[in-house]
Amino acid sequence: MLVLWFFVLLIALCAVGYVVGRSKASASAGGDLSTLHSLLSYHGWNVALSTFMAGTLAIVLWSFISSFFEGAPTIVGVGIAALAALAVFVLSYGRISRDYRARNFVEGLVKSLLIGASSIAILTTVAIVLSMVFETGRFFTQYPWQDFFFGATWSPNFRGNSDLGMLPLLWGTLYVSFIALLVAVPIGLFAAIYLSEYASSRVRSVAKPMIEVLAGIPTIVYGLFALITVGPMLRDYFAQPLGLGESSSSVMTAGIVMGVMLIPFVSSLSDDIINAVPQAMRDGSLGLGATHSETIRQVVVPAALPGIVGAILLAASRAIGETMIVVMGAGAAARLSMNPFEAMTTVTVKIVSQLTGDTDFASPETLVAFALGITLFVLTLGLNVLALYIVRKYREQYE
Amino acid sequence: MTDATANQPSNSTGKTSLFVEDARTKKRNAAEARFKFYGMLAVATGVIALVLLLISILSQGIPAFSQTFMRVNITLDEQVLDPSGNRDPEEIAKVMTFAYDPIINNSLQSLADELSAEHPEVTASALQGMLSKASKGILRSDVIANPDLIGQTVEYEFLANGRIDGYLKGRVDREIAALDGNVTPEQLDIADTLVEAGKLEKRFNWDFITAPDASELRPEAAGLGVALLGSAYMMLIVFCLALPIGVAASIYLEEFAPKNWVTDIIEVNISNLAAVPSIVFGILGLAIFINYMGLPNSAPIVGGLVLTLMTLPTIIISTRAALKAVPPSIRDAALGVGASKMQAIFHHVLPLAMPGILTGTIIGLAQALGETAPLLLIGMVAFVNNYPESMFDPATALPVQVYNFTQRSDPAFVERASGAIIVLLLFLLCMNLIAIILRRRFERRW
Amino acid sequence: MSFVKLSASALAIAAVSATAASARDQVAVAGSSTVLPYASIVAEAFGENFDFPTPVVESGGSSAGLKKFCEGVGETTIDVANASRKIREKEIKACAENGVTDIIEVRIGYDGIVFASDINGASFAFTPEDWYKALAAEHFVDGELVANTLSTWDQVNPEFPAQPIAAFIPGTKHGTREVFEEKVILAGCEHGGYMEAMMAAGVDEDTAEEKCMAIRTDGVSVDIDGDYTETLARIESNKDGIGVFGLAFYENNTAKLQVATMSGVTPSVEAIASGEYPVSRPLFFYVKKAHIGVIPGLQEYAEFFVSDAVAGPNGPLAQYGLVSDPELADTQKMIADGVIMGSGS
Repeated sequence: MLVLWFFVLLIALCAVGYVVGRSKASASAGGDLSTLHSLLSYHGWNVALSTFMAGTLAIVLWSFISSFFEGAPTIVGVGIAALAALAVFVLSYGRISRDYRARNFVEGLVKSLLIGASSIAILTTVAIVLSMVFETGRFFTQYPWQDFFFGATWSPNFRGNSDLGMLPLLWGTLYVSFIALLVAVPIGLFAAIYLSEYASSRVRSVAKPMIEVLAGIPTIVYGLFALITVGPMLRDYFAQPLGLGESSSSVMTAGIVMGVMLIPFVSSLSDDIINAVPQAMRDGSLGLGATHSETIRQVVVPAALPGIVGAILLAASRAIGETMIVVMGAGAAARLSMNPFEAMTTVTVKIVSQLTGDTDFASPETLVAFALGITLFVLTLGLNVLALYIVRKYREQYE
Repeated sequence: MTDATANQPSNSTGKTSLFVEDARTKKRNAAEARFKFYGMLAVATGVIALVLLLISILSQGIPAFSQTFMRVNITLDEQVLDPSGNRDPEEIAKVMTFAYDPIINNSLQSLADELSAEHPEVTASALQGMLSKASKGILRSDVIANPDLIGQTVEYEFLANGRIDGYLKGRVDREIAALDGNVTPEQLDIADTLVEAGKLEKRFNWDFITAPDASELRPEAAGLGVALLGSAYMMLIVFCLALPIGVAASIYLEEFAPKNWVTDIIEVNISNLAAVPSIVFGILGLAIFINYMGLPNSAPIVGGLVLTLMTLPTIIISTRAALKAVPPSIRDAALGVGASKMQAIFHHVLPLAMPGILTGTIIGLAQALGETAPLLLIGMVAFVNNYPESMFDPATALPVQVYNFTQRSDPAFVERASGAIIVLLLFLLCMNLIAIILRRRFERRW
Repeated sequence: MSFVKLSASALAIAAVSATAASARDQVAVAGSSTVLPYASIVAEAFGENFDFPTPVVESGGSSAGLKKFCEGVGETTIDVANASRKIREKEIKACAENGVTDIIEVRIGYDGIVFASDINGASFAFTPEDWYKALAAEHFVDGELVANTLSTWDQVNPEFPAQPIAAFIPGTKHGTREVFEEKVILAGCEHGGYMEAMMAAGVDEDTAEEKCMAIRTDGVSVDIDGDYTETLARIESNKDGIGVFGLAFYENNTAKLQVATMSGVTPSVEAIASGEYPVSRPLFFYVKKAHIGVIPGLQEYAEFFVSDAVAGPNGPLAQYGLVSDPELADTQKMIADGVIMGSGS
């Protein structure tokens, strides 16, 4: 509560700082603003930003330090932070003069803010690992790791004594994601190419947002669609005639429906990237006599490749993390099988179901969710390193 | 295409006129046409999938926006509500909703008497079964708010029971009613009679959008008010945090960061975070924001923070791709006329990258708006009946409400789930519209 | 520069948040999704009838609910955990480690579990033995275990139609699965004498039980990790399917489902209350005693939940499908006195 009020006051102080900073700088210029080293607004921002950052930094540091001491009153921390902010306010105000290099200072501050923002990703990772690692440790004291990593059966059980091998789950995850990408990548990529290269701007302005809506439909709708429409259809027209099984929930069902959901991830992002390839490159290729499609295939797409790979990776990531479509489309039974018309399930589904189930929360059956989470985390990390390597190797930088 | 490039012997023979296409040109043109056709096919697939999904949602969800109301005169009996007769609010408050059952029953008896001359099947108990169970609560709160009503006869418009509502919407028929334990075919006959008498009426129902959720016994009273507020709070937080942080992080990584292993780690980290199942962010939210930082359970502030962390990778990845796509000549030109690096980026590169950034934001926000799993562990998948007054009060979210509605046993919740999806999509549309308009303004080719 | 505007709006938002965030004044409940409908009915009625705000009822499973419950004592932790099973010893220990020692256990009634199929399909009259024969992974035949290959119901019991076996049973995350395995499959195994035969052949009791309850995984029985609406949707897309439902869910969907009898008894609130219908389980909620008197309305909520007007045979919970507890009076007294678990009551 106190902290919130502190921020209210801090922001007010910053606003004051901006105004007084500007006016002092303008006064120091003595009527001729061109004698100032930096623009007026940089002087204002200088005071405001320094004050804000000092206050925020102090409060963050305090909350970090105080978590090691029991019962440290918040008022002390807020007081210290307020003093720090005031001191910096006075200091930075005092430094304002005609020759003060305010722009360089502000840019330095902004850069440190940018660094701070990008380190949030690291902090998130650390937090994710921290929030799961202890429970994972407890899981492995109750369940042998060999059985977890190399076990080929998954059958949790209320009475204990469960088989919790993750291989069938991993297989299901890879299989479903693979089929989903098989659907989403060609459709998404062709849609992107068509929209950015062929379509008139009217078609584009309608079709692009429409396809983007696909990403916004709650996955439960897709799940029901898979369960009620796609599943029985695939069973009646493909699985049964081909003698591949009787199951209406299958990897195929979930994969296809998920693929549809992922189309906008590939198409929309790729479209922006393709659109941003310089027109000169197209003109050059067309001028040499290439047809439109040859230009696209041999010039535009390679130039846009890093971005397209990024889009595909994003789609793959969504496929791995999806729950609802898999539960309703592919079922909840863990199975190791090559048949795409069999019911299977994924790691994510089991993380959710073991966490939200009715099993004893201190038992391996629930704790396994954390182990699965960490394992999936490490695996996708590996895949991403691989992807980065591939992008680096094949990337083509133009201009 | 020309003789100079055509080294193949097959081409050199048949080539006579520029107006006659040779075999290779034909092949290339055919490939061109095919390529274009694939593109159209792909766009059509996406649009058809969308249309199919929308049709199924709309056809199921539209009825949720109207509701059946029943007009009845209620005599608020003093004997039951305030036996002492001194209108003491505390004593009136002691009378629980259960005591209002006989009051409603007695009042309905007079309606039954009025109608039963022509329609003998109309009885008070059948009528009472046709009213929503929410009626008692409305009566009680009215009486407490205004004790002078006691002893008077007041005209009320109560919600009709979900099954009767289903009958007027065509979901329930006599065959179903015969099998259903919660409604009888006679009640459907009575409903017809009441419609004729002008006592039963179906009309647009704002309460579906504004009212809080209701329990499984009263599907007709359930609304989306709390969920809408919760989602709005969360989107505000996500937009205010994820967009600036995401753009800032991308600018640093793309424009300033030295290409070394630290940057590589950050880069891999970000794409890895995009692959983390959303429920894991829920685990993080529970462990860090609730258990460690002591933020309240079920509150939109926690939900917003969790969703911010979840959408950041999406926004960063698309922003970086967009920044990467801005030609280096733009930067060089800006630097050439004396801008600092920071100015070149903020004044020239960033505006050009804006369409891509906005696309990423649209997709990220759409994902955040539609996500249920991370909210499960931080307590937002819940039954919440009070409107949140701030970001720190318990609330639910629209996808949560959809999820909750689809889990409930009463068939009347099916249309409400689809109705909730329609509201969710409209919400998304409003958010997107702004981004799309902005995107169109920034979009350009060079 | 719109800096002033920007900071003014930020100020306004922060100020609003700062004033509004205050101590928690509503009861916080979390836990089993089976108990959720009952708890939300009670919460709604509680909000209508008392001056306290309506309690917030989270779903998310018994396990997650109890875990949150055992996180500690204080305003940021929940007050009540709903569970579709009894709290386990290990959980009580974990609770105690975090300072949650005084727990009041409240049994609110029983949840009936029924077998239902499509309304237009064949009717069934099951015994537990039929289910054991149909769904066991392995049968004990002539002294050894052989894989179960039965594929139609008439192979299970000649009285049944020749309809393919397609069972939609709760997934391993659901508490219902435990009840299904113990009260149907195991009971069928014991009743049909299969378990005895196994033990006579020298198999020890634990293994025999394990073998009895192992359910086939060849796709004949489909685990449902979702909820009953998913089971219903699966039956609608596969008319031969037979699903496991809660009694309350079935009673709301009698127009789409027909219920099968079990050992000749049709499931109903009365039959379950009298114990005639065998497949049911108790539902509970747990109250943190340390929060009573601290969180406004907690005591009242607990008392209101088990009051006759709510949880009694004619109350709204029974109307929805809860089988009310014949010993409700004892429970009411226990809450009024604040008797905690393990104090010998």
